[in-house]
Amino acid sequence: MRIDGYAPIEDYALIGDGRTAALVARDGAIDWLCLPNLDSPSVLAAILDATRGGTFELQPAIPFQSSRRYIPNTNVLETTFTTDRGSVRVVDAMTLPDRRLEAMREIVRSVEGLSGTVPMRWRFAPRFRYGAGTPRAEWRGGIPVATCGAEAVAVMSWDAGAPAWIDHTLEGRFEAGEGSCAMLALIGAYAEPLVFPQRAALAARLDGTIRFWQQWIDTRKYQGPWRDQVARSALVLKTLIFSPSGASVAAPTASLPEEIGGHRNWDYRFCWLRDSNFLIDALIELGCFDEALSSFWWFMHATALTEPDLHVLYRLDGGVGIPERELPLDGYRHSRPVRIGNSAVKQMQLDIYGALFETAWLYSEGHHALDRDTGVVLGRIADRVCDIWRCRDSGIWEVRNGPFHFTHSKVMCWVALDRAARLAGRGELPSRHLDRWTREAAAIQEYVETQCWSDRLRSYTRIAGSDDVDASLLMLPLVGYGTTTVERLHRTIDAVNRDLRHGDVVYRYHADDGVPGGEGCFLNCSFWLVAALAKVGRKDEAAALMERLVARANDVGLYSEEVDPHTGVFLGNFPQALVHLALIEAACALR
Amino acid sequence: MAAIPSSLAGGFIGTLVLITIIRAASEFGWTRMDLAFLLGSTVTVNRRKAKAIGYTFQFLLGLVFALLYGEFFEIIGRASWWLGALGGALHAVFVATVLVNVLLPVVHPRMGTPETAANEIALIEPPGFLMLNYGRNTFLITLLAHVAYGAIVGWAIRI
Repeated sequence: MRIDGYAPIEDYALIGDGRTAALVARDGAIDWLCLPNLDSPSVLAAILDATRGGTFELQPAIPFQSSRRYIPNTNVLETTFTTDRGSVRVVDAMTLPDRRLEAMREIVRSVEGLSGTVPMRWRFAPRFRYGAGTPRAEWRGGIPVATCGAEAVAVMSWDAGAPAWIDHTLEGRFEAGEGSCAMLALIGAYAEPLVFPQRAALAARLDGTIRFWQQWIDTRKYQGPWRDQVARSALVLKTLIFSPSGASVAAPTASLPEEIGGHRNWDYRFCWLRDSNFLIDALIELGCFDEALSSFWWFMHATALTEPDLHVLYRLDGGVGIPERELPLDGYRHSRPVRIGNSAVKQMQLDIYGALFETAWLYSEGHHALDRDTGVVLGRIADRVCDIWRCRDSGIWEVRNGPFHFTHSKVMCWVALDRAARLAGRGELPSRHLDRWTREAAAIQEYVETQCWSDRLRSYTRIAGSDDVDASLLMLPLVGYGTTTVERLHRTIDAVNRDLRHGDVVYRYHADDGVPGGEGCFLNCSFWLVAALAKVGRKDEAAALMERLVARANDVGLYSEEVDPHTGVFLGNFPQALVHLALIEAACALR
Repeated sequence: MAAIPSSLAGGFIGTLVLITIIRAASEFGWTRMDLAFLLGSTVTVNRRKAKAIGYTFQFLLGLVFALLYGEFFEIIGRASWWLGALGGALHAVFVATVLVNVLLPVVHPRMGTPETAANEIALIEPPGFLMLNYGRNTFLITLLAHVAYGAIVGWAIRI
């Protein structure tokens, strides 16, 4: 049920082709699509402005109910509409290229009449450049085309009525009888001519796309009680990898709010080094070595301009210029401002160094020895960690009232130097500074154990010397910290349970972070709690929580960044890679 | 044909300077472009071997282009450092807009293109227009290196 024209976030499903992605609502509307790439301006953005954003609706013209699923082990969505006059199945997919001449980007919408005769309506309202670009609505040889500068889209239709442009919006109606099959295809091009594929080619590509996803998931190696959830997460993550470069976005959306009507609305269509490293770890865990290699190469290439300093996030093309600005859009359910770009790029976050070295370690453990050039670069970065670990930073949560001495950041610096020393021991990093790395790692551990532990709280603390807890501390057992102080890990998990947990979900902290407004519980933290419990041996407790968390996914197995602990509604950008990565980590920890 | 020995000599020195400029720019953190790596990784995924093979490719290409410069200068009947520099500038524009931006991703088995989708895995990001994906200064460095190359080749060629 839409409120003011906005569907609940959990009503969306993701389709994508590794270059861009779209969100399809339960009522058959595509409300988010950026072309040609994940980080390009939107053509459809009704999710951020129901009036001006642009949408592609396809649904029965009479009251209906809908149910949906992904075709098993694919990113191809199947929605079944049931009405008083019959039922219809719509299959939505962003097709993958084959050997035929294909459009630059294409979304296929196949409509199959299942029973009775259902009147259908469709409406395509392209609104380029986040709603700011006025489209020119035209016809090319009987095909409706909308253009705006170098951008162009067209809708091709077969057995789907005779569409007409009405005030820059294309509308069509048709009847889907039992056994009938109609097809619509949204074709996109940027800075090149549109390609108009034939129906048979589109149908063949749709079949090929289904086959590809099923074959890809068949080769994943996770076997365990949460296989379906891990497979869905892997499919989401694969969709969020930008195939032309190997970079991955944190989420395909921008400015979905962390609180309805709230201020915390951020653009996640960039590659966070932290997430990228978690992704490589998960890809290795799932046996996706080619994808892991691609991401690792991108990572080393992207950081070449800035090393030994690392930026928090990078554009998908490897650049670091990501100015944050606000758009004159209404915002999801009037949550303003709508931001694109992300000023967190300017922050110093020490934990990313640990994430990098953990990845390098896992990469090496996965039988990919680091080459000498990479080892030399990592050696320089390890030296840099020795220089900067005593600095304050903005931390994993990118607080805007810092910097502070975050415990999690210090521990991740320890991870960086610990892994650097281990890699040097294997001869994969130059060893001339090994003594310094070992010495500084010990100094960090000493700092954490003396300055970041609270006897009153009986827990490690959020910040050195503070008296509050933070969900990022759940990462400590996951990165192998504190093997000699396991009791402290148990007590820290207990403190998170006591102070941050609300039912089966977890707030990240309760402290002020310099941003006005509230937020929900972070689902990645909830899965980290599962993994942390499993790592310290409390597997029954972990498995019980895991069962409850997997039930919190939407009907097609996706998670947003956060959830309102009181109502269960999704909040924040959707679907979020970090949550699906944390789910995989939790499932693997429980194996 | 009389210009072949001087073209090869100029091509050798010019390529040496071109490679040095690009490598130095990379070491100073001004660009992520590494032509040797891009060329060498067409035949191997071993990064170190790729660079060694790439430098060889780069020298061969430098010599081939020097012969083309020599042929051109013979046709117009004159050669000079500034004509070579002008040719180098055009050469750089061609490299940045067509040769490396469009043609290399098409023939490179491990480089992504804007069309690379989820059913393919690219190991190397595409360079983009004017190779700007490899850093904002990349085109200026490419231009500088090719102007230097062209000027040396133009100066060395004896018709």
